[in-house]
Amino acid sequence: MAERSIIDQLDDAVTALLAKPAIDWSVEDPAVASLVAIAQELRDLPHEEFRKQLATEFKGENMSTPRMKVDPIPKDYPIVSPYLVFDNAAAAIDFYKKAFGAEERMRFAEPDGKIGHAELRIAGGVILLSDEYPDYGAVSPKTVGGSPVKMHLWVEDVDAFAERAVAAGAKIVRPIEDQFYGDRAGQISDPFGYTWILSMRKENVSPEELQRGMDEWWEQNVSKDSDDRSSESTADTKPAGVHTVTPYITVKQPAELIDFLTQAFGATEKFRTTGSAGGIHAELNIGDSIVMVGGAEHIEAMPTAIHLYVPDVDDTYRRAIEAGATSVMEPMDQPYGERGAGVEDISGNRWYIATTFVPLQEIAKDLRTVTVYFHPIGAQSFIDFVTNAFGGTELMRSATAEGFIEHAKVQIGDSVIELGEARHPSQPLPTAIYMYVKDVDAMYERAVKAGGISMKPPTDQDYGDRSAWVKDPFDNVWYLAAPKTA
Amino acid sequence: MSQITESEERLLIEAAQKDPSRFAELYEQNFHRVYAYVARRVRDRAETQDLTAHVFQQALANLGKFKWRGTPFAAWLYRIASNAIADQARRKTREGGDQVEMVSDSSAAQDLEQVERRARLFGAVDTLPEDQRRVIVLRFAEEKSIRDIAEELGRSEGAIKQLQFRGLENLRNRLGEN
Repeated sequence: MAERSIIDQLDDAVTALLAKPAIDWSVEDPAVASLVAIAQELRDLPHEEFRKQLATEFKGENMSTPRMKVDPIPKDYPIVSPYLVFDNAAAAIDFYKKAFGAEERMRFAEPDGKIGHAELRIAGGVILLSDEYPDYGAVSPKTVGGSPVKMHLWVEDVDAFAERAVAAGAKIVRPIEDQFYGDRAGQISDPFGYTWILSMRKENVSPEELQRGMDEWWEQNVSKDSDDRSSESTADTKPAGVHTVTPYITVKQPAELIDFLTQAFGATEKFRTTGSAGGIHAELNIGDSIVMVGGAEHIEAMPTAIHLYVPDVDDTYRRAIEAGATSVMEPMDQPYGERGAGVEDISGNRWYIATTFVPLQEIAKDLRTVTVYFHPIGAQSFIDFVTNAFGGTELMRSATAEGFIEHAKVQIGDSVIELGEARHPSQPLPTAIYMYVKDVDAMYERAVKAGGISMKPPTDQDYGDRSAWVKDPFDNVWYLAAPKTA
Repeated sequence: MSQITESEERLLIEAAQKDPSRFAELYEQNFHRVYAYVARRVRDRAETQDLTAHVFQQALANLGKFKWRGTPFAAWLYRIASNAIADQARRKTREGGDQVEMVSDSSAAQDLEQVERRARLFGAVDTLPEDQRRVIVLRFAEEKSIRDIAEELGRSEGAIKQLQFRGLENLRNRLGEN
């Protein structure tokens, strides 16, 4: 049997002397013995909380003296610390303990456990945090729909740190990689809507080298950024001006709907033709987005739910009602960070009209005027499906403690879709999506493998596209398309 | 715990005598000494804490009576502590409870040397690298097992033992430097 290592021998001695404090423990190995002697003295090490608590008795504000002399800058705080707000601060503290090895050093809670203020030490830094108090402007990323602020954390071993965080439930947003600026770094998102940039310095890079590295990186990445993104999931062959995900609103009376969209939302019609099934096929611009409208009396309608981001929700809502829509909800400020209203149009499509409190691109880079909103039964399975089938990436989610997904955003190609678990009588409202992909055949195969049902295998169309139709397990129809010749 | 000079200490005391809110600095300077002094005589942690708190409360209440005669402030605190421990022992005997466990008093000078050394050791724990400091605190102040610490910090038991080893090694070296 192998000799026990010095480290184990030491721990044996420590364990024994902690168990029997009255006994003086001795070991023979002199290297270990000197450490055991230290350990023996440490048996009397005071509790840190005791020391701090007693200290507060003697702090200025508790001394009832007329003139209080207090250091204006307490010693145990960095000058700048983030103050983070959580929809469940207690769960967040548990998470950071597990994921980041955080140490809780302060917590003030209401009787029901709601945390009014808490402090954590993380890797030598400090974060301050609380639960949500909307009346005091304290709202969490779950409520607002993301956080524009990211935390940066220096760590000694970035790979090990990230691995542990992921094991505790964090998600990798950007993989840990060597960066041209001398760091090894990556990004993770935690289950509470915050993103953490994790870095470890590997070499010091001079400003000149940094600029050179930046130029090279720009050359390699940004100048062909759109290619890169599409290679992950979808199109680089899509025609200019179109996006990966486009809603295909199928209704019985498309001409009337087009009129409505023009009046209510200022849509402009790009073209109108006869579709493959004999109905109308039209494409319209609304804001920076494209909407396809099609259908006929003999074709089954597939109304759609759309999150319509507009500059002035009250104005758009008024125009929609004047154009014949039914009000579902009058404009009002929403706790999740937008002023929103709801209407149902003459064809049963639901429009969640919204003006966000921050610029749209700060919420998600590719969020656009028209964002399709899915209401699947089983939101998690739906996210899994679009991830597996189309290479979607979850950008954020807002879920209850039980895991009920109230709202989520998923990136597909250059587009963002939104979803929330079905819970309204008018939901799930399955819909149709026109999706430009790089390789129809490959994407079709992948979608079917992920659980999609084939409605039409890949076929060349006489209007120039190669396309395939897949129905997902939630009854949404995805028209996968790529131009026949690039 | 940074060591301060005799004249700095004198200024601190005079400041605290005029303005009790300055007492916090004297507390910070002397906490580990008083705690180590009491802990050497009283084994029970809760009692050590009560007595330590009592010593500082007494010191604050009687600070106006303290006269600077060239002896360190700590000596005055040790006197208060010694009296408090004796009072506690007498009270316990009267109540018929257990005696406060007294640790044999060797020669006073040697004893105080030990206390000072231990206070330096406790102070040195604060200066350890963060992960070592936490392991030492959890292991010795909170008396947690290696397994519990590993779970709490999300690391392997081997890693915790390693940190314990490095932490003790660093503490030994830091004490040696003094």
